[in-house]
Amino acid sequence: MSSSVEAVPAAAESLTIGGELRRRRPSRTRSEHALIGGALAGSEADLAALFRRFWPRAYRTAFLIVRDHAAAEDIAQEAFLAAIRRLDRFDRRRRFEPWLAAIVANRAIDWTRARASRRESTAGEIVELASPADPPMGRYSQEVLAAIGALSPEHRAVVVLRYVLEYSPGEIARVLELPRGTVNSRLRRGLDALEAALKELDPR
Amino acid sequence: MKTSATHRLREFRAPDEAGAEQRAWTVVRTAYLEREPAPARRRAHPSLRLATAPVAALILAGLLLSPAGATVRRLIRHALDVRPAAPALTSLPAPGRILLSGPGGSWTVAADGSIRHLGAWQQASWSPRGLFVAVSSGNRLAAVDPRGNVRWAIARPSISDPRWYTPSGYRVAYLSAGTLRVIAGDGTGDHLLATGVAPVAPAWRPGHPYQLAYVTGRGRVVVRDGDTGEQLWSTRPGARPRQLVWSTDGRRLMVLFAHGARTYTAAGRLLTRIAWPLRESVTGAALSPDGASLALVLGHDQVLLVRAGASRELLAGVGVGDVSWSPDGRWLLVAWPAADQWVFLRVTGAPHVTAVSRITQRFSDGGDGPHAFPDLDGWCCTAAGTAG
Repeated sequence: MSSSVEAVPAAAESLTIGGELRRRRPSRTRSEHALIGGALAGSEADLAALFRRFWPRAYRTAFLIVRDHAAAEDIAQEAFLAAIRRLDRFDRRRRFEPWLAAIVANRAIDWTRARASRRESTAGEIVELASPADPPMGRYSQEVLAAIGALSPEHRAVVVLRYVLEYSPGEIARVLELPRGTVNSRLRRGLDALEAALKELDPR
Repeated sequence: MKTSATHRLREFRAPDEAGAEQRAWTVVRTAYLEREPAPARRRAHPSLRLATAPVAALILAGLLLSPAGATVRRLIRHALDVRPAAPALTSLPAPGRILLSGPGGSWTVAADGSIRHLGAWQQASWSPRGLFVAVSSGNRLAAVDPRGNVRWAIARPSISDPRWYTPSGYRVAYLSAGTLRVIAGDGTGDHLLATGVAPVAPAWRPGHPYQLAYVTGRGRVVVRDGDTGEQLWSTRPGARPRQLVWSTDGRRLMVLFAHGARTYTAAGRLLTRIAWPLRESVTGAALSPDGASLALVLGHDQVLLVRAGASRELLAGVGVGDVSWSPDGRWLLVAWPAADQWVFLRVTGAPHVTAVSRITQRFSDGGDGPHAFPDLDGWCCTAAGTAG
């Protein structure tokens, strides 16, 4: 059988519906409270500022937990969509990011658990096709990603919330709805396991 | 030492952060612009007015193991009072994801109402478990993941109607400039199966690798082995069918014509022949996931549900389009281009209707009118890949 296969494009082109997210000098002069108020009042610019401020860490958090860039993008996007839907009910006395992080972290943990059970049920269907190369990561990223894979999703979540989002153990306990003691215990064990894994990967 | 691990975590950067941010912003922005204030009051169930004027009706012999012969019964007309449609698609009434294509490209809609653009494609179809989508546009056929990332692509003239083999997804059939071709699910082994083929979507026989039904330019229905090319059976030439539908167990093939239908056994023996007594012709059909019900679109203005030897009208309205079942078989989605709406009809349990408007605006490339309304490509799966 002969076939003619053209080069697989790097990515399907996306149709941009609306304006692009233009990179501007970050607006640190407006508080989170003001941006949410502006977004509620219909300011797309304030929504964009809110999105720019919190997207990168939401995406990194999701990625470190699920270790799959497509799933991480989905999870972070869904978290923002959930935030949009509930924005008018959001209590502005609270901070926005922990609220968002709770959605991201819990969905990421759920996804990781679901993937583990899906691996048992996808026998017979093609799940690995020829795929484009994963986008390159930063200098430390490959080792960190490999090392964090040694942790369970629950341990990953507390470690990521502590050292990527820089939440206190108390905040982590509220985000993940865990006892404070459990958070502390998982942090200790998670960090020890991470250190050990990094040492194995890079004994220097 | 602990500093090293924590420092590395703080310095961590995920892949393609800028690209992911831009893509997500497109969707988030759209959702934001479509936000509507909560309605002043909740909508009650729409009323069902039972009209007393009987309408001449048709019973289609059940597709699964039904006795031969068709009977005609009276149809009690149910008029649905569809209240003004919701302006925003905030969630689907059932699990799964909807796939659609139109001038704005191909899209998926998840159960929570989130949408994703797969690319500037014209047609799409789900793989059996919704892990991939076969898409086509002009001279290109591709398999993409639910995020629109292309896994493989080929070029052939005038590609249309890609269809995955069920349940494995190991083969994809498609039409190309009057020919029928088959390719493996991983993009290899593309080969010609038949020439002189009519523009009617081919249909794989479920669970029987790899038998494929298609329609010739002379109106014959042919079933071939998709790998070897061996012809298994065929009908005589005649009027061109509109659609081929296999029963879910692969034991029956229903051939839909504009003014009737025939059912065949898997060996090609004619079982039933039915003529619609109505003026309208069949313009669309969809078999429920359990194979026990058939939704028929008649003349673009009626949607009938045929089940267990009886039929009833679900919807009447000018300019009705495609229909698609929810994966759990409880809901029927009716695309209504003339009203620029999607209408979700619950067909089991208590009747319920939910409608969503401004479909064209949501998924088009800026055009409007019924020609810009997207086609339904399927409503898939609750246990696959990403969240449904």
